[in-house]
Amino acid sequence: MAEIRLERLRKEYGKTLAVNDITIKFPTSAVTCLLGPSGCGKTTLMRIIAGLEAPTSGEVYFDDVRVTDKTPQQRNIGMVFQYPVVYKGISVYHNLELPLIEDKLPEAERRKRIDDVAQILGLEHMLNKNVSSLDNATRQKVAVGRAVARQPQIILFDEPITNVDPNSRVQLKTALKRLSKQHNQTIIYVTHDQTEAMTLADEIALMKDGVIVQRDNPRSLYNYPNDVFGGWFLGNPGMNFVEYEVNGQSELGGPLFTRPIRFNNLNRDKHISVGIRPEHILVSPQPSAGAVRGQLTRKSIVVGGQYLLFIQIEGKMLKAKVPTSVGQAVAQEVWVECPLERVTLFGEQGTKIETELIPAQPVA
Amino acid sequence: MQHVKSPELATTVTPQPWWTRLGHALDRRERALPTMLLVPVLLFFIIWNVIPTLWMLGLSFYKWTLTSGRPEQFIGFENFQDIITDNSVWLSFSKTLIWVFGTVSIEVILGMLLGLLFWGSAKLPGRRLALTLLFAPMMITPVAASIFFRLMYDPTFGVISYIIAQLTGQAAPNLIGDRATAFAAVLAVDVWMWTPFMILITLAALGSVPKAELEAAEIDKLSWFKKIRYVILPNGKFILMLGILLRTIDSFKTMDLIFSLTRGGPGNTTELIAITLYRKSFEAFNLGWASSLAVILLLTAIAFTSIYLFVLNRKQAEEA
Repeated sequence: MAEIRLERLRKEYGKTLAVNDITIKFPTSAVTCLLGPSGCGKTTLMRIIAGLEAPTSGEVYFDDVRVTDKTPQQRNIGMVFQYPVVYKGISVYHNLELPLIEDKLPEAERRKRIDDVAQILGLEHMLNKNVSSLDNATRQKVAVGRAVARQPQIILFDEPITNVDPNSRVQLKTALKRLSKQHNQTIIYVTHDQTEAMTLADEIALMKDGVIVQRDNPRSLYNYPNDVFGGWFLGNPGMNFVEYEVNGQSELGGPLFTRPIRFNNLNRDKHISVGIRPEHILVSPQPSAGAVRGQLTRKSIVVGGQYLLFIQIEGKMLKAKVPTSVGQAVAQEVWVECPLERVTLFGEQGTKIETELIPAQPVA
Repeated sequence: MQHVKSPELATTVTPQPWWTRLGHALDRRERALPTMLLVPVLLFFIIWNVIPTLWMLGLSFYKWTLTSGRPEQFIGFENFQDIITDNSVWLSFSKTLIWVFGTVSIEVILGMLLGLLFWGSAKLPGRRLALTLLFAPMMITPVAASIFFRLMYDPTFGVISYIIAQLTGQAAPNLIGDRATAFAAVLAVDVWMWTPFMILITLAALGSVPKAELEAAEIDKLSWFKKIRYVILPNGKFILMLGILLRTIDSFKTMDLIFSLTRGGPGNTTELIAITLYRKSFEAFNLGWASSLAVILLLTAIAFTSIYLFVLNRKQAEEA
């Protein structure tokens, strides 16, 4: 059991600020994904946790032990790098065994652990092969096995499947999932791939410009982003944002809604954005109550047979993801409804406005 | 679809205009340029390398002593037979082997240790200056270095002799004049001169180790020994091998350093094969005999090199 706690962690490279005052806890027995675009500081954060990089200021704790000044050796962690790192010229078995020997495990225990991970990773038949003869994907499996076989309390993954071919990616991901549930380990997984994060993580910490923007379970993070960035970065395509000029008022209406919607404009924002995910928009070829009329400008089929529609409503462009049947049925003219429970409002600073959305009584 | 040229068309081809022809000529010129640039080097190489080597090869079959006044006389393999049965040649040859083994192994071990030390102290202040100073011996002409050391080894005013005298409480030794110590004293000078080279090679080898592999070794808590064995050597061995090869070839033909320190003496204690060769050719002027020895040395050096290259290639093929 080891909970990782970062306190006011900061890392500067010259004038560049890579990690900006991060305070966060990573819980035991859970996979936490650090998700964010390239250059957001997620790898730096992980390297600081590993002890490969010293923070400019701030502290790192494992449980209640301060490890900020400790070397990677003293921290007793496992880590898998972006590029497969193996010890060249020796067998797969020997590769997996090296750290176990350093941990002074008896021979029988070493063999057992190696056999276990090899079985999960599908390496059983390659144990005697020289790692230098393996392809990158298999080498990465060896690297994963090496980190996992030691059964450290903390394992860090730094984009481990980015450089692996798609087929092996699925294999590795499945193996990772199985391995992560075996022992009560704290696992941090860095990635810029949202699908990877969504499928692997118990919790996702979304990073941007050296800051953790939001930290939540994948579903909540996806459905209720508390920042424009989260809405935009997650989803394929990301959230729709429609700008409204409300001039400090607490009401909005067209073009998205047929009747005025009241909300709590505490900050008296002049401009707000209405955010809704493409798959949450209801589209129909026939008019219905609460739906506004729009022009279909383009449609395309996406993975899974769904249709992606580009709809223009009074000069605003909306992307909607709809089931195949709807996608096939719609033509030029469509009716669009944005269910209020799926709508999120963002203020001028891009942060979510905590409010209820109350439809006004339709004018008789 | 393939076009078949009709005979009518072929006859109507007009001669190329002058500018096209000029273009082609320039084209050919362009191809000629690299060749032309190579010619001086090749000429130089042929005049100063190929011809003398062939000449030497030829001479090795002749009996020709400049001082005898007799014309050269073809004697076939007699020189070679003479050399092979000559005890003093075998003696200096075996001394050379000891010399090569001694200098190269000490320089490699010392160079690797110091290289590791420098590499591990990357953040220490003054490291750059220390490195520069350490490389100074390598840049000094061997003859100049020999003169320094002849002075330092001097029993009357040499600083090394003085220190040894102070430490042992006995009379100052004549390190390069004494049969018992001369070889080691000269070897020490070579080590002083060439260890920096192996430090440089070691640093280059260490530089070729991927950072992630070193970090993984840190994370995996590998010991120093294992880190060297499983991370540093597999990545840096080619550069290290190259360094060892260069040192071996160089050490094999050591001449100037020793010659200006001891002239091969006292007696023949420090007479390496290259000095024997020098004496036979430029002191005894027995050019035929000396040429034969030179041919043998050349073949030995080639053999050394081939063994190394063979091992290197095989390992490289293994890696691929």
